[in-house]
Amino acid sequence: MTKNDNKRARKVHFLWLLLIIFLHSCVSHLNDAKLYYVQAQEFSRSYKTEKAIASYKKSLEEAEKEAAKQPSSQAFMLKGLIELNLNQWEEAEKSFLAAFSYGFEKGQEWAEWISLFGLASSLQKMGLESSAFQIYEHLIDKSKLRPITVLSAQKYADVALQKALHEEGKERERLLSGLLRIVEKLSRQDLSCGYYHYLHSQVLSHQGEYRRSFEEAVMAKELGLPSEEILRDNDLQIVFCFEKLKEELPSAQWESFQTLYQKWIERWNWSDLKIPSWKKR
Amino acid sequence: MKKKTIEQVVQDGVKFVAQFLPKATYLYFPLLSAALVWAIKRNKEWKEKIFSWKVWADPSPVRVKSDKYILSFFKKNNDLCRAYTKEIEDKDLISLRKAFLSLYPILGLEDPFLSALFYQELEAKHYRKIVKEFKGRVAKAIQDIEAVGEKPGFVEGLKSVAKEMASLSSDMITQTSVQKALAEIIKREIMEKND
Repeated sequence: MTKNDNKRARKVHFLWLLLIIFLHSCVSHLNDAKLYYVQAQEFSRSYKTEKAIASYKKSLEEAEKEAAKQPSSQAFMLKGLIELNLNQWEEAEKSFLAAFSYGFEKGQEWAEWISLFGLASSLQKMGLESSAFQIYEHLIDKSKLRPITVLSAQKYADVALQKALHEEGKERERLLSGLLRIVEKLSRQDLSCGYYHYLHSQVLSHQGEYRRSFEEAVMAKELGLPSEEILRDNDLQIVFCFEKLKEELPSAQWESFQTLYQKWIERWNWSDLKIPSWKKR
Repeated sequence: MKKKTIEQVVQDGVKFVAQFLPKATYLYFPLLSAALVWAIKRNKEWKEKIFSWKVWADPSPVRVKSDKYILSFFKKNNDLCRAYTKEIEDKDLISLRKAFLSLYPILGLEDPFLSALFYQELEAKHYRKIVKEFKGRVAKAIQDIEAVGEKPGFVEGLKSVAKEMASLSSDMITQTSVQKALAEIIKREIMEKND
């Protein structure tokens, strides 16, 4: 082999090496984005919100690099999902539309749901509650994007309960029954979502169904809730149901309920029947 | 090296917060108190919890509680019951619900920041004053903290102060004891600073 051949071989090797590094970096952006995304979801599930947000942000950086270097349906879909978790609605909508243009069939539908949710929120802020209400109802029924369904349910229940509170007697009952049907449906469709059980418990409490409200609140607590505020409110709801049942239940039923209640509060390490573990004394 | 006392750590904490919020002395106690409460209780989630008041001040799950729940909230707290006797007797749910929006996050959900922000009123049991001033004072606090919240070093510095305080106050395991101990020291510090 001549000296020139050696030089040429080294050049070819070098070019191959560059190509491999380039390809590896392309693959690793997408892989890193996925890894950080999974990590963020794990943190989120265990209420480590701060860490979850940091991981989502890292994941977004990688997804953005991937989308810039090698735009694809997968890169934009992942980018959109991350943006959704970071509440960056407009960006998420654009990403899903971009994913659709690269062949991700559901992209357009997802973008539409986000767009509708954004519209409903704006309408609500501008005082057009009934229009917003209709959109939330539509999204609860149609959206297959869980964050959008949960947020729509939250907003819908909030408006529906406010409406019910402005009414009296049978009209209030009618509005509450309508809301109950929707919340029951949501709980059935997504049994593992603690927040739906929380909503369910709240509506039942408005109807004076304290035993069932207690059971739903227990399920919400066991499955997990999205924020400390809601978690604490749910605990206080449990205590409220306990107090109401004490007033209402016949003695035999009360004794049986009390035994059950005692078991739960031991499980949660409450220091007292009416004092959740976070409460000051 | 001589170990610092809790007073010295709090003094350092006040000095630190004063660098960022020189004029907003009213925020020293709520910020340090909330940071310490969460540093003790939930070390890993301290940042979110310190600033959780931003979310908690939004009363969305609070404003749609049932009438009976609101009545029960006022009735079972003796001081509140005394303060709102007439409204409870008259079942004036409009007034009670309005007061509930401000008082429930503090007395029910026990938001550490809000309960420190209204510490003096709570000690004096001036609940109506809290209701009257809640919106304005919370909005002002949000405005002042948002101005420094994103500045480099603020959050990290607050975290260090809170961790140091937490390491020296392992016996203060309840929010009440934490707040009482801190309130006195910070009050003294602010008075000295003003002098």
